Amino acid sequence: MSSLAEPRTTADGRPGGDALVSVRNLTKRFPITRGIIFQREIARVHAVEDVSFDIFPGETLGLVGESGSGKSTTARLITKLLDATAGTIAFDGQDITGFSRRQMRPLRREMQMIFQDPYSSLNPRQTVGQIISAPYAIQGGERNVRRRVQELMDRVGLNPEHYNRYPHEFSGGQRQRIGVARALALSPKLIICDEPVSALDVSIQAQILNLLEGLQRDFNLTYLFISHDLSVVRHISDRIAVMYLGHIVEVGSAEELYDNPKHPYTASLLSAVPKGMGETHRRVLLSGDVPSPIDPPPGCVFHTRCPKARMVSGSPDEVPENCRTEFPPLGEVEPRHLAACWYPLKAGEELRQAAHR
Amino acid sequence: MSDGFATPRGEALLEVHDLKVHFPTSDGLVKAVDGLTFSVRRGETFGIVGESGSGKSVTCLTALGLITRESATVEGEVLFKGRDLLTLSNDELRKVRGKEVAMIFQDPFASLHPMYRVGDQLVEAVRVHDDMRKGAAQERVVEMLSAVGIPRPRERFRDYPHQYSGGMRQRAMIAMALLHNPDVLIADEPTTALDVTVQAQILELIERIKGEFQIGVILITHDLGVIADVAQTVMVMYAGRSMELGARHEVFGKPLHPYTWGLLESIPRVTSKGQPLLPIEGSPPSLIRVPPGCPFHPRCPHRFSPCDEERPAFKDRGGGHPEACHLTADDKRTLWAEREAKRAKIPA
Repeated sequence: MSSLAEPRTTADGRPGGDALVSVRNLTKRFPITRGIIFQREIARVHAVEDVSFDIFPGETLGLVGESGSGKSTTARLITKLLDATAGTIAFDGQDITGFSRRQMRPLRREMQMIFQDPYSSLNPRQTVGQIISAPYAIQGGERNVRRRVQELMDRVGLNPEHYNRYPHEFSGGQRQRIGVARALALSPKLIICDEPVSALDVSIQAQILNLLEGLQRDFNLTYLFISHDLSVVRHISDRIAVMYLGHIVEVGSAEELYDNPKHPYTASLLSAVPKGMGETHRRVLLSGDVPSPIDPPPGCVFHTRCPKARMVSGSPDEVPENCRTEFPPLGEVEPRHLAACWYPLKAGEELRQAAHR
Repeated sequence: MSDGFATPRGEALLEVHDLKVHFPTSDGLVKAVDGLTFSVRRGETFGIVGESGSGKSVTCLTALGLITRESATVEGEVLFKGRDLLTLSNDELRKVRGKEVAMIFQDPFASLHPMYRVGDQLVEAVRVHDDMRKGAAQERVVEMLSAVGIPRPRERFRDYPHQYSGGMRQRAMIAMALLHNPDVLIADEPTTALDVTVQAQILELIERIKGEFQIGVILITHDLGVIADVAQTVMVMYAGRSMELGARHEVFGKPLHPYTWGLLESIPRVTSKGQPLLPIEGSPPSLIRVPPGCPFHPRCPHRFSPCDEERPAFKDRGGGHPEACHLTADDKRTLWAEREAKRAKIPA
């Protein structure tokens, strides 16, 4: 893995340019304790394990994975809402891993979040104007707050005259626009979108996705876009990282990753998405459920469900030794396309159904 | 039925005629379902798709007799094997519900009692309808758990719901629904709370049991992808009404209603290479103040004079693909072709 000092970092396979966010070997484990006075640690949830990636200015990096894969924890670690157990986070060339809350405050202008639920992420007792101007109240530096807020409202497609209305007077889609305006208020460099359209109906979802794309063009924003919806992620992302049980298992350009997945998990995930329009496709049904992150499998975390490992061993009940004992490093399989797998898929190779379900 | 609706195969199990469900509230009359006609056949997956508040769930709850005339004004007919379910007494309904017509819900976390063992809850469901000894009922449950793909069913029988994963809980719910060999299975957003890989497993399971048990399935979802994948017949709902109804390849290949066009242009597809999204303007109406005429007219780019006054009839204008829109068939063909061409031209 390249060091942070090198400008041309290729930890996730994109050459050139200085990364806006550089994450190296990021790990977060949550202790599970027992006892009232003397809290003994009895186990740990391995939420994020040894994750490295870069986000480059002006791009959208999509982060996909099923529930419990560590997507949101990663976002909270980058914004320092959680402290990492190990690893480093650099933002705009600055190592912020050990930053205190006070040190972080000026940086909060630069990174903002948009949340999933437009109902619980807005204070019901504040007017839209108060909600969107809150960043100025905290950070200062804006003289004509009201005018600026109304400009923002207009830009995100809200009627500026609704400045004094309360969130309950708006529909779900309009509320999400309020959340977007609030995130834009301080002209940040990075916006982390944590499932921003998952709670919305399809017709509204498209409106918000188009809005986010338009804003990115106009303000040269960088997005970390988290979603479990593979179609949405493909639509909006330049590059995509796939997470499974706390690990990044594959990173590549959106096209490459969808047309030519290298990791068996990515391939199975893609085949599980309904393609619609009566297109025939074969689903690779994964057996069982995602294992518990409290006690993740040894070796490659996916080996318990991996159809490819069973193809390699030639038996539905056996997987190759290295899959069981050692986690494969995230390495370049093709130019700018990384996968963490001992037996990555070749172009056009099809997964056979795992024999047992 | 003789009105030429898309008819795949098998006898009509459930026929809904001009169903209306209106709830009186302090804010006004909520017209949750407003004149709905469709039928479900044996061996068919009938998909109902629509956004939140379009009346999908209320339709099915009414069909099951879970919304009664005490809480709402219910008009129309729900014929199940020739009997009108809306006229049955509670006792008669109880014999149908859960036995001949079964339902699974969106949230498998909320549908099982957290303090009782999964197996015991299923045994109870067996004994509600069948006068069966406990041991025999247990055998039946274990058999069914195994049929829906729960590994080691005899051990898992004794587990509590929290020991099951989301996918397994939904499997247990499906097992419960199938205990009495129902004729119709209503699945209300059965995979919405699940991850995609688990969703694929559950859809596959519903498809398999539909064949094995020879039942009719009503699948309610807001996910067009799921509908396009598993349904044979599709009904698109908006503001409590049916906008169009037809075979899957008709509705997705030659959609006839501007609302369906808008929906199809709004979804990003996993297979498409960055096609632009063309969202529908505005948001769905309140069911208390449904726009007069066609409920979709305020958001419809093709509206013209009668749309805001006259409600278009839901009828088959040839081709076994009924819809509710004032545009002529020729207009539709031209407009849809234009929209497709326009969409192909816009750079992503």
